[in-house]
Amino acid sequence: MRPLAFVCICAAISLRASATDVAFRLVDAVGAPVADAVVSLVALDAPAKISPPAEPLEIAQNGQEFSTFVTPLVVGTTVNFPNEDKVSHQVYSLSPAKKFVFPLYKPGTRGTVTFDQPGVVALGCNIHDWMRAYIVVLGTPLFGKSARDGTATITAVAPGFYRAEVWHPRLGKNETREISLAASDITARTESFTLALKPDRRIHRSPEGSGGGYK
Amino acid sequence: MAWFRFRRFSIRLLALLLGLLCVTLATTYSLVSSANDASAREHARASLELGARLFETAIRQRIDLSSVTSSLMSADDAIKQVLLETPIDTKTLNSTLASYTQRVGAPAITLFDLERNLLGNTRPDLIDETEGPFAYLIRRASEREMPENNGFSYLGKSRDLHALVVAPLYAPYPNIAYWFGLAFPIDRAFAEKLKETSRIEVTFVSTEDIAHPRVLATTLPDASAKIVADAVALGRRTRAQLTDLVLPDVPAKALATEGDHYVTLVKTHDMVAEDPISIVLQIPLGPELAAARDLESFLIVVSAAALAAAAILALLIARGVSQPVQQLAAHTHVIARGDYKTRLALDRADELGQLADAMNAMSVGLAERDRVRDLLDKNVSPEVAAQLIRDGAALGGQEREVTILFADLRGFTTLSEKLPPTDLLALLNRYLDRMSTAIEAHGGVIDKFIGDGIMALFGAPVAQGDAADRALAAALAMERALADLNRELAAEGRPPLGIGVGVNTARVVAGNIGSHRRLNYSVIGDGVNVAARIESETRKPEHRTNLITSAATLAALRDPEKIFPRLLGKVYVKGRAESVEIFAVAAG
Repeated sequence: MRPLAFVCICAAISLRASATDVAFRLVDAVGAPVADAVVSLVALDAPAKISPPAEPLEIAQNGQEFSTFVTPLVVGTTVNFPNEDKVSHQVYSLSPAKKFVFPLYKPGTRGTVTFDQPGVVALGCNIHDWMRAYIVVLGTPLFGKSARDGTATITAVAPGFYRAEVWHPRLGKNETREISLAASDITARTESFTLALKPDRRIHRSPEGSGGGYK
Repeated sequence: MAWFRFRRFSIRLLALLLGLLCVTLATTYSLVSSANDASAREHARASLELGARLFETAIRQRIDLSSVTSSLMSADDAIKQVLLETPIDTKTLNSTLASYTQRVGAPAITLFDLERNLLGNTRPDLIDETEGPFAYLIRRASEREMPENNGFSYLGKSRDLHALVVAPLYAPYPNIAYWFGLAFPIDRAFAEKLKETSRIEVTFVSTEDIAHPRVLATTLPDASAKIVADAVALGRRTRAQLTDLVLPDVPAKALATEGDHYVTLVKTHDMVAEDPISIVLQIPLGPELAAARDLESFLIVVSAAALAAAAILALLIARGVSQPVQQLAAHTHVIARGDYKTRLALDRADELGQLADAMNAMSVGLAERDRVRDLLDKNVSPEVAAQLIRDGAALGGQEREVTILFADLRGFTTLSEKLPPTDLLALLNRYLDRMSTAIEAHGGVIDKFIGDGIMALFGAPVAQGDAADRALAAALAMERALADLNRELAAEGRPPLGIGVGVNTARVVAGNIGSHRRLNYSVIGDGVNVAARIESETRKPEHRTNLITSAATLAALRDPEKIFPRLLGKVYVKGRAESVEIFAVAAG
């Protein structure tokens, strides 16, 4: 890149003073956008301060599904699991980051869990095999979740060294990349990741009344 | 080769037919037998390949069953309740797994966490390691995903062969929280089950220690399995392919006392981090060949029957041929004896029938020839007849020197007036018979009878060197014969007969004279007339002789000493310029 052009771009970014946005663009091996990926930045020089939200988050059970498939949150966040369904549920997790189970709870009741360990928590329901959700418990406040177009943006990131991490349920292990944000970076930074996703395995929900099966 | 000659046609035909049939049948039998053997082996080999696939399928089914089992186990609430506790209560977990072994019929079930630490185990006697074959399989399965979730391994102190399967505990699917490890033994029971469906003998052999191969499981008796294991080890060492093995009798298969051939197929199966094991699949050839052996015995029976039938047929054919041949041979003897009247009756249309017909036709021909010859003999002189038969009745002739004899009966004309015709003819024939006998006795040929006269030839048709001598001797003999006849006639009270004989020697033309329909062998020429003329001279009383010859005849004599000629003078013959000197002849 020619020096003059580089300077011009830097000048454009510096409009937002000492913080910048980091945009993630996620595609799979065939170039299709990847949704429901959790992106995060782990500060390498000075750990960022974590402040869990005061209000609990909510992942409802409705229509025999979890309301949210992937929920990124910081350590210490409390999540409510209200049963807004017509049937009972038995939501559980056997993930080392948080093992729990809500013994059979009826519609209108709810379970509550505070996630106090970083890690991925796979949620299932002992009654409905196809119900699945993920909670990614993060030790950093800098995170985001990719939308359908495969992009996620973490706003107002202070200059410094970071490890960018990408998690997705179909990734064998997290994609990571170290990035450096200079004070002079004034425009949005775009990090592109091509993710090698595993085949999309899932239990197809059986139509009511008919015999179900694995596919 | 003398021993190879058969005295009888029937034996030869029998030997030929039976020999050919034997060769054909033996060849057929050996071809069928070897084809049966090859096909039985081929069939056995195909069965073994099928058995090998059956084995793989059986293993695959176990693995699939384990996968289903695992998914059922991972959907079970009880184990999740146990696993929710931190730390996990190992005793409770083990008893949970133990109840699963009852529930799903898996002999050994273990549980590992994602770091491949052994959390639970129903068979501590078999499984005590953490980084063992299960850990290896879990790592491989997580890296490459399914279906590389299974393998063979030795477990326990006795290192028994087991098939291992790892299957994830999903919480929820497809999120793997733990790994189940299932083991089921590849033991005699498993092998027997395989044999039940395939009838194939199965032996699993470990050649870890090539000097001491180990039978891991087998359907064979221990002694046979040991032989198989040693053969496999030997095959490994020499890199020889093992396809056939003779094993001692298997109980209930007492087909061969020395043991049976086992068509053998050796497959190898990979182990988890160990040398591959050998899976030996075998089918005894005996039962496989039983149907073929039945067929072969049937073939022998059929062959024996065919040989017997062929023997009978050959004898019948031989009789059918040799009997008429013998008849034909006998008939040739009949013909040789001169019996041309007997006919051979062979009622058949084949070549022998044709031969019989030909022989009959020959008899007819021979009889005809005999008849013709007989007639010829009576009508012409035997010499002429012989010449006719030899040379055929060709017209034409040849010039040769011949002595011609003419004889005439004196006083026949007066006699013919006195006697009735039958007596006359009888007397004439009696006279002619005596004269003919005298002529033929000296080699003369009666040319023809001219009324009471006789013309005879010497030196034709068969040339004679002493024709003149013979002719004169014959003439003298005729005189003597007539003297004899006259004595007989005197005794009968009849008057005596007189004779005049003229002999001349000359070159004449001899041959068959006449038309195509009728021929006479005769001579023509001046000499014939001279002979007749000389004969007529005997009538002259002044000559005082009955026998006159010419100088030419005297000149032609070979032995003139026996003859005493007396010159009578010269006579002239009509149409001839020269006169002929004539002589009276008397015996010396």
